[in-house]
Amino acid sequence: MSDQVAQLFEERLARYQATIALEPTDRMIVAGSGSNYFAEIYAGYSRQEIMYDMNKWIAAESKFAEDFPEIDLLRAGRIWGPMFESVGFKLYKLPGRDISLDTDFQFVEGEWMKADEYDVLINNPVEFMMEYRLPRVLGEFKEKGSVRSYMAFLKGGMAFALMGQLMREKALNLEKKYGIPQPFQGAMLTPFDALADGYRGLQGIMIDLFERPDKVLAACEALIPDLVNCAVAVADPLKRYPIFMPLHRGNHPFLSPRQFETFYWPSLYKVISLLIEAGYTVRAYLEGDWTPNWHHWNKFPKGKILCDVDNKADIAKAKKEIGGTVCLAGGIPDRMFIFGTPEEIRARVKELCETAGKDGGLILNGGCAIPYLTKPENFRAFIDATLEYGRYDDTIKPKLKKPPATPAGGPVLGHPPRVITPWEVRLQELGGVMGDEKMIKDVWEMLERRAFVWLHFWDW
Amino acid sequence: MAALSELTQALMDLRKEDVISAVEDLLKKQTPPLEIVKALNEGMIKVGDRFAAGDYFISELIYSGHIMKDAMIRLDPLFEQTGAGDAGEKVVIGTVQGDIHDIGKNIVTMLIKNAGFNVIDLGVDVSAERFVASLKETGAQALALSCLLNVAIPAMKNVVEALRAAGIRDKVKVIVGGQPIDEEVCKYVGADYYGTDAPAGLRICRQIYGAG
Repeated sequence: MSDQVAQLFEERLARYQATIALEPTDRMIVAGSGSNYFAEIYAGYSRQEIMYDMNKWIAAESKFAEDFPEIDLLRAGRIWGPMFESVGFKLYKLPGRDISLDTDFQFVEGEWMKADEYDVLINNPVEFMMEYRLPRVLGEFKEKGSVRSYMAFLKGGMAFALMGQLMREKALNLEKKYGIPQPFQGAMLTPFDALADGYRGLQGIMIDLFERPDKVLAACEALIPDLVNCAVAVADPLKRYPIFMPLHRGNHPFLSPRQFETFYWPSLYKVISLLIEAGYTVRAYLEGDWTPNWHHWNKFPKGKILCDVDNKADIAKAKKEIGGTVCLAGGIPDRMFIFGTPEEIRARVKELCETAGKDGGLILNGGCAIPYLTKPENFRAFIDATLEYGRYDDTIKPKLKKPPATPAGGPVLGHPPRVITPWEVRLQELGGVMGDEKMIKDVWEMLERRAFVWLHFWDW
Repeated sequence: MAALSELTQALMDLRKEDVISAVEDLLKKQTPPLEIVKALNEGMIKVGDRFAAGDYFISELIYSGHIMKDAMIRLDPLFEQTGAGDAGEKVVIGTVQGDIHDIGKNIVTMLIKNAGFNVIDLGVDVSAERFVASLKETGAQALALSCLLNVAIPAMKNVVEALRAAGIRDKVKVIVGGQPIDEEVCKYVGADYYGTDAPAGLRICRQIYGAG
């Protein structure tokens, strides 16, 4: 990597970090989307090719970075098909497999946990996964104990390791060749969404709110340490990038304000607070309309969170109501990228730069993403107009944030990352070791912890 | 009858146990099942009204459906297969091709069904051809198209074009709804109406059939 590219990377990352921290910057971030769907297909590959062929995925990102060299962040594409194939994961319909190759992959909501399984989820999450939920969501694990089910776990583990490598390669390609940082690294669902999206399904969770509210609360509480530990395990070890949290059922009008405050908010507040205390920032997608619920975000410390505001909500109102605490992204309706003209995009960017974005703390974006069907000329106008109107002060040069020290004992005190078989059990089986026990114990626990993260990988 | 209005009220207030015991009580007292269903429907309409007014949320709407279903388990066996449920003005509804999301569609379906419409729900990922075939078969004058993804917008346009090609465009009013839908998308698609929330879907259906 040339020094110039390294410098560019550092400038961009520092600008992104300062923007999230609500500190002064020289200018607005250009195309600072967390999810750039347009970039995924811009190079001409089908959705299936991007999802299944990592080389094409990397080539698509390279092509995008070359044709739009001004962009400050890029994450194109989201999931790697082979990971899902390895175990026959049933929660997604994939392009080229279940749906046409030019359609988006889509989430399949269902009742993957029964109403009477709360206690086992709360008291014994590993049993819950292995005995109840995974046989339902992993098609290859349907017949536990069969040769095919053993192979599924083997393939799934290999795919998980491979995916980690490939994602790293993809990020390094953008960093080293184009000086482009990632918008986030690592992802998690808030406990209520994990329960609602991936476990009980919409019908189930809504009924539970009325019929077994205490169980819902206890399950959200019980999920906190594991979900936080799993998110941190795949987040950027240097803590340069935020951790991604797509937020779903806090979206109005799913829950009443009272239900939101009772069931959704407490565990969301706790997980984000734990991540912040552990030195991370968070990029949360407020999917749908969060207007009646977003005032709660003012309870967080200033400058630690970036919230993407969706098409349904008003960015100016968000800026007024929570912009003093969190950085915001959004403001350009998806349809303007798709159906609008470059002139309309320019006018909208100019307006946002002069209003909601005039004092910083705003990243221009579509509704939580740049849409697939964006016209290239509109994207070009988006970049040019941001560079033209989004200037604050060229003399400001934000500095990279130093990575905060990882707190001793992990992010959740009293809850170290979970293992399935503790070292002590293994040691007893061995009847003691001849040499350095710690050396063996560390490896044992590292693999055990990764295996537990793998179990939660299938939450959504 | 006081007991029937109490049943309506219990459903409105989402008191499941009271609803079920009231249904069982009324049946014991030889109340005609149709009267009981009417009282339940009245409750569902009131729940829909509360939702439209912003006093109830999707959680309450779904829970009311759950209570209704439980009550109907006791009532359904008492009705002969008369097709009585097919009365009412017809609305064909579905999520367009390429999109498998159904939460929004299901909420609209529930609201308009409760309001007395005969809803023909084609499900998700529905092709233009299936919409056309269903409209021809049922003679419905209202077609409600749903989507969550903005990549599904062209699929909505395809449906409108397919209606034209099939020569039935002027016989059907097309409503579009879903996350990416606004006035401009409605125009692009060539639909007659758009709704930005579920109660709007009900208002439009009533308007199409001249019911208020």
